[in-house]
Amino acid sequence: MRTEIGLLRTMLLIRRLEAAWAEAYARDEIGGIPPALSTGQEAVSAGACAALEPGDVVFTTHRGQAPQVARGLDPTRIMAELYGRRTGYNKGKSYHVTDVSRGVIGMGGIVAAQVPVAAGMALAQKLRGTDRVSLVFFGDGAANEGAVHESANLAAMWTLPLILLCENNGYCISQPVAVAVKAASIADRAAAYGLPGALVDGNDPLAVRDAVAAAVARARAGGGTTLVEARTVRLGGHLAHDPQHYRSREEIAAAWEACPIKRFRARLAAAGLLTEEASARMEAEIEAEIAAAVEFARQSPVPEPREAFEDLWA
Amino acid sequence: MSRFDRKLFRPGGAVKPEEREWPSIRGAINEAMREEMRRDPTVFQMGEDIAGAPPFGVTTGLAAEFGLERVRDTPCSEVAVVGAAVGAALGGMRPIVEFQFGDFLSVAIDQLTHQAALLRYLTGGQVRVPLVIRLPCGGGQGTGAQHAQSLYSWFAHAPGIKVALPATSLDAKGLMKAAIRDDNPVLFFEHKALYRTRWPVPPEFQDPDHVIPFGRAAIRRAGDDLTVVATLTMVHHALAAAEALAAEGISVEVVDPRTLVPLDRETIVGSVRKTGRLLAVDEAYLTCGIQGEILALVTERAFGALKAPPRRLGNPGVPVPFAPPLEDAVLPDAGRIAAAIRAMVTP
Ligand SMILES: Cc1ncc(C[n+]2csc(CCOP(=O)(O)OP(=O)(O)O)c2C)c(N)n1
Ligand SMILES: [Mg+2]
Repeated sequence: MRTEIGLLRTMLLIRRLEAAWAEAYARDEIGGIPPALSTGQEAVSAGACAALEPGDVVFTTHRGQAPQVARGLDPTRIMAELYGRRTGYNKGKSYHVTDVSRGVIGMGGIVAAQVPVAAGMALAQKLRGTDRVSLVFFGDGAANEGAVHESANLAAMWTLPLILLCENNGYCISQPVAVAVKAASIADRAAAYGLPGALVDGNDPLAVRDAVAAAVARARAGGGTTLVEARTVRLGGHLAHDPQHYRSREEIAAAWEACPIKRFRARLAAAGLLTEEASARMEAEIEAEIAAAVEFARQSPVPEPREAFEDLWA
Repeated sequence: MSRFDRKLFRPGGAVKPEEREWPSIRGAINEAMREEMRRDPTVFQMGEDIAGAPPFGVTTGLAAEFGLERVRDTPCSEVAVVGAAVGAALGGMRPIVEFQFGDFLSVAIDQLTHQAALLRYLTGGQVRVPLVIRLPCGGGQGTGAQHAQSLYSWFAHAPGIKVALPATSLDAKGLMKAAIRDDNPVLFFEHKALYRTRWPVPPEFQDPDHVIPFGRAAIRRAGDDLTVVATLTMVHHALAAAEALAAEGISVEVVDPRTLVPLDRETIVGSVRKTGRLLAVDEAYLTCGIQGEILALVTERAFGALKAPPRRLGNPGVPVPFAPPLEDAVLPDAGRIAAAIRAMVTP
């Protein structure tokens, strides 16, 4: 998935999988909390995860589907979890999908809670003498939680193999980042922690991949933690039901103009890397893959009531 | 009251004609806050999206009326916000803080339990910490473990914090007004499944000085065979169970304490002295949960009146799961309450 075409495929797969989830919610096939989509933010996860190796561990946010797909999790089992089925990765217990075997830990419930935990995983990776790294996603909103500041300082002091990846999509639910963060950037905070910091275009998967790859190389070589801020734009609502009354039509339309998939596809076409036919074939394949995932989820059994009492203790 | 409909985020259906005149719980809380903000300029609000896009609509319209100085959208920084509420309270203000989901209070517990709750005592009574924290709670909405718990037992356990749990519109308004006027930290737990529900109210609902004092239970239904003590949605599940059991000749009394701290011990004990049987029902986790406190109270004070061992229903101690059949398995409901009552009254 590291090739340009692979990155595009990942981004499209994220977009389509999430759209299918939102459609299922809209049809009332899925109840409960509305889907949290990464529409417009796909390049961040696709690029970041392309810089990782097996054994590296990623900690996700409440917008976890993008990194799940980017790390190669099985769309059928992701979808089954989102449908609350026992064939889902978490057996219907939580829509924040985890696949330990692929190094994806889903920690969506409490904003920023995953950041100290990721630092601890990085500590374990270091103490156990591996050259593996941890990467933690957190939002611009999460960046204002004490947990992030405490962890950044700890990771800096202990030279942990950690990538702090701030996915700045411009909003914390309805609150624009401009009224939540006084400073010009979150990446600038790195200096205060004594860490290297980088600000990248989060709508460019190659830029994200390269920035994260440099951070990963530093971490593997014992150089410690890097703070990367990827600037992107949330194209949809905070959750799928959000009517976004706090955003103007013009703002949303302009954001769609900068859609990372549209942009990257045009770039690959211009570079001669993607023909019309190849693009159409890729879309058709993804369409079929997601349709199969939805069908699998629909056909899967719901959990038995007694399963509510399983898995609490190790 | 319907069982778990999991429609929290869907548009509400049409209001039933007979309910049109009845205020919703959400509207009642909003009205109480609006009246208190008009009455007292020191009352102000802090919370995530409470001005820009009010979660569950409880603060709707307040920013328009009172402005952004008094209805403050905060960054996602719960420790700072709860701590700032404590400080503002020390400084003569009466802050109201909203959490989008009450479960998130876990992030800022120190500022509540060790700062807000202890300061008055530790300063020998020199300071007051009048603040209200609003905490949407409860399961049955398919929102997953960190958005579905009922954690008031944690805070009833800690000294120095009052805990209110409104089950009707009248109580929501009157208890909120009492909470705002109280000179102590108050946690105000709002069950998400009740927000849209509408309840008939007496004329005093309109009175801006109608306050429901803390520490007075409501007897929601009188009965002779068994006392159910329940809060929030479980009040309505218990009433549904009582109604069904009446047809079987079982007479159930339903007591809603309305506040856990202070707790109206007299009404609970008095009811059990009359009926001789006690069932405490709550969504709270059973172990060290509020149900156990009620059983302890009754066994200490009215042991001789008990005709059957008291019982409790609640979440048996598993995180509230996401998938509906799993969530159903861990929450009490009218059917389970009725079954427990039958087993207790049948010799
Ligand atoms: C401690 C805590 N506070 C608040 C919330 C409610 N909440 C859920 S998602 C979210 C937005 C966080 O914004 P950001 O970190 O920028 O992530 P984004 O939603 O933009 O991806 C908030 C405030 C929460 N889950 N946990
Ligand atoms: Mg954000």
